[in-house]
Amino acid sequence: MFVYISRRILATIPVMAVVALFVFSLLYIAPGDPAAVIAGDQASPADVEKIRQSLGLDRPFLVQFGEWVWKLVHFDLGTSIFTGLPVTALIAQRIEPTLSLMIVTLILAVSIAVPLGVMAAWQVGTWIDRAIMAFAVFGFSVPVFVVGYLLAYFFALELEWLPVQGYTPIAQGLWPWFENLILPSIALGCVYIALIARITRATMLEVLQQDYVRTARAKGVSQGGILFVHALKNAAVPIVTVIGIGIALLIGGAVVTESVFAIPGLGRLTVDAILRRDYPVIQGLVLLFSFVYVLVNLAIDLVYTLVDPRIRY
Amino acid sequence: MDRRDFIKAGAGMSALAASGLSAPALSQGVAAKTLRFVPQANLANFDPIWGTQYVVRNAAAMVWDTLYGVDDKLVPQRQMAESEEVSADGLTWTFKLRSGLKFHDGTPVLARDCVASLARWSARDPMGLMLKAIQEELVAVDDTTFRWKLKKPYPKMLLALGKNNAPCTFIMPERIAKTDPFTQISEYIGSGPMKFVRGDWVPGAKAVFERFADYVPRSEPASWLAGGKKMLVDRIEWLIMPDPATASAALQNGEVDWWENPIADLVPVLKRNRNIRVDIGDPLGNIGAFRLNHLHPPFNDVRARRALLMALNQEDFMRAIVGSDDNLWKPLPGYFTPGTPLYNEEGGEILKGPRDIEGAKKLLAESGYSGQPITMVVAQDQPITKAQGDVAADLLKKLGMNVDFVATDWGTTGQRRAVKAPPAQGGWNIFFSWHAGADCINPASYTAIRANGDGAWFGWPNIPAVEQQVTNWFDAKNIDEEKVAMRALNKAALDNVVFVPPGFFLGYTAWRSNVSGIVKGPLPFFWGVSKS
Repeated sequence: MFVYISRRILATIPVMAVVALFVFSLLYIAPGDPAAVIAGDQASPADVEKIRQSLGLDRPFLVQFGEWVWKLVHFDLGTSIFTGLPVTALIAQRIEPTLSLMIVTLILAVSIAVPLGVMAAWQVGTWIDRAIMAFAVFGFSVPVFVVGYLLAYFFALELEWLPVQGYTPIAQGLWPWFENLILPSIALGCVYIALIARITRATMLEVLQQDYVRTARAKGVSQGGILFVHALKNAAVPIVTVIGIGIALLIGGAVVTESVFAIPGLGRLTVDAILRRDYPVIQGLVLLFSFVYVLVNLAIDLVYTLVDPRIRY
Repeated sequence: MDRRDFIKAGAGMSALAASGLSAPALSQGVAAKTLRFVPQANLANFDPIWGTQYVVRNAAAMVWDTLYGVDDKLVPQRQMAESEEVSADGLTWTFKLRSGLKFHDGTPVLARDCVASLARWSARDPMGLMLKAIQEELVAVDDTTFRWKLKKPYPKMLLALGKNNAPCTFIMPERIAKTDPFTQISEYIGSGPMKFVRGDWVPGAKAVFERFADYVPRSEPASWLAGGKKMLVDRIEWLIMPDPATASAALQNGEVDWWENPIADLVPVLKRNRNIRVDIGDPLGNIGAFRLNHLHPPFNDVRARRALLMALNQEDFMRAIVGSDDNLWKPLPGYFTPGTPLYNEEGGEILKGPRDIEGAKKLLAESGYSGQPITMVVAQDQPITKAQGDVAADLLKKLGMNVDFVATDWGTTGQRRAVKAPPAQGGWNIFFSWHAGADCINPASYTAIRANGDGAWFGWPNIPAVEQQVTNWFDAKNIDEEKVAMRALNKAALDNVVFVPPGFFLGYTAWRSNVSGIVKGPLPFFWGVSKS
């Protein structure tokens, strides 16, 4: 197992290198000028050009790429063109809100979606099943920002129960931290609740047809025991897979959620960096996201061995 | 009592029990001393000379002080300067600093700091560049006095040192001001009324300023950048909110105190809330810019440019930008900011009266236009440029022009507009922008009105008649001479169409009713603002 994990982690390096080269090339080819944004609209063309030169943006592609790779092998993600701050510092500032949002969303989604999926499978064909699946369709269909605005309107503006926007670091208290995450987590979680609930239902329905479930029933095992001990464990592999994919997708969903709720996370950092053509920040973030994606896949593989002992590496 | 109040009260009771202090009163005091502000844009960098975006200038005005500052009559008044003397020949200016000025690191402000700061500023600012071109010497005479010796008189010296358009003459410590003007500074030490809290800065999300206890305001009442900059709050937090609906909701439920530029669509909602005040933010507003490339056909021919003026309906453009609120726009038969002393409409008849589409078509044909594509670069991520682009595309089509509408983003527009090559080779014919009215009160800070060919703003108009009047204005000895030059300038600029002015528009600002002291101006002034 140790060899397997080491091999998988080492395999991330060429993957990230290819991704980085692709992103670097794409940004270089794409139009857009950070110097023009920095200089402001009143600046003369000569000023814009001088800023471009001072940032090294007038140098050939290979020189810029070589310098970036050289820094990277020294574990240096570079410096933001706009802020002059190290990219690692910018990412460090923003990682806690995004991680918090993802973790709370995931806990919320799994704790609601799995029981809903099991319930729908158990009550298949009834109004309960139809209601749960209708909710799932709603969750899929309504964009995150619409749910976000509706939640903010009712729970923050009308009822004044929760804040509209912002993020409080966990170091400043568990409740203030959680209070700011409730609405964004629900908004972001809707689609994942729907996704996980549908997969859970489908997988459970399949498992509930298996012989060993019939045997368990014949032996007099309770309904709860059948559903949560015998069936759910055997349905876990696809559910774990979809949860894992969901984690990666959460990064994309966080971009919109963080904007709607003014959360200073990696999603907003990414959008800001792209709009301003802050190349070192974009490259650093892409590398980070690639790494997270690879790690999540690795974690899913490892969880498979826990839920299904037949799977071995 | 709602749920949040209940929880807060519970927390307050716990704190009271634990500390023995009166927690609710304490927290109320802290809240009243912190002003939470939503700025127009993200404060992504903080060097007001290196990056000249308005948002950087606005934040910098709290942290760095200036030698002079314009008041609400646009007249430069002494700020850090105690006095100035100009020699009889107008060539030597001697400035003396007021006593007791300190930087945020505790060091005194000295003349050599001013010299280094002015040298850095004059490498970037249009007026600074003019001064640099005629500079004989700029030296510190002693700790509180410095001298600027020129080769020819520069009557606009005090305006240059006190103007509010970016870059302003912010005074920094010498060691920081010696940074190359095209390289960003990394220390944000000023002598202004607020200190920048570097440790709390989250670029793209939050910027924090704290009151500078050692700041000595002038004794005169504050007026824009002039007078006593008395801070009535201890802390100002800038909270960047990219989404207007979120900013609106945060203002409505009291999570923020002041939103610099609410979008017109949300203003009716804010006006209905009795806890919110809404008013025009900047009386100097903005001037739209429908920019033409003078290097390539058809707009290298003045007849093609004039055809646009004949056909264009400013109301169409302005309504596309501000909606149906007639308080927010004015027709602009000229280039300068309405309501300011040098505003005039000389030569503006072409923009008044019924629009003449047929006449414009005829003029366009005379210019030699025969259906070649017109490359119009339109930034879709800026509502103002998008609105102008959509209306302009419709106008050009009505004139029988073949529009190549390039829908893109602001960053790309910024890059493409610098390309001088023909449109077919990556260049352009038209792009859109807008200029703050504060920058358009005279030619000193109005980069877009200049028509000095390669040295001009994007589009590179080369019109000696315009440049002559710019020179006349700079050389004017009094307001009457200035007015004569400005009338001639407006006419020359319209006759030759430096760019197409699609109109003048204003924007709102909104704040909670427990905030007082907000004044209308070209930037948000935080001195004199208090919160109860």
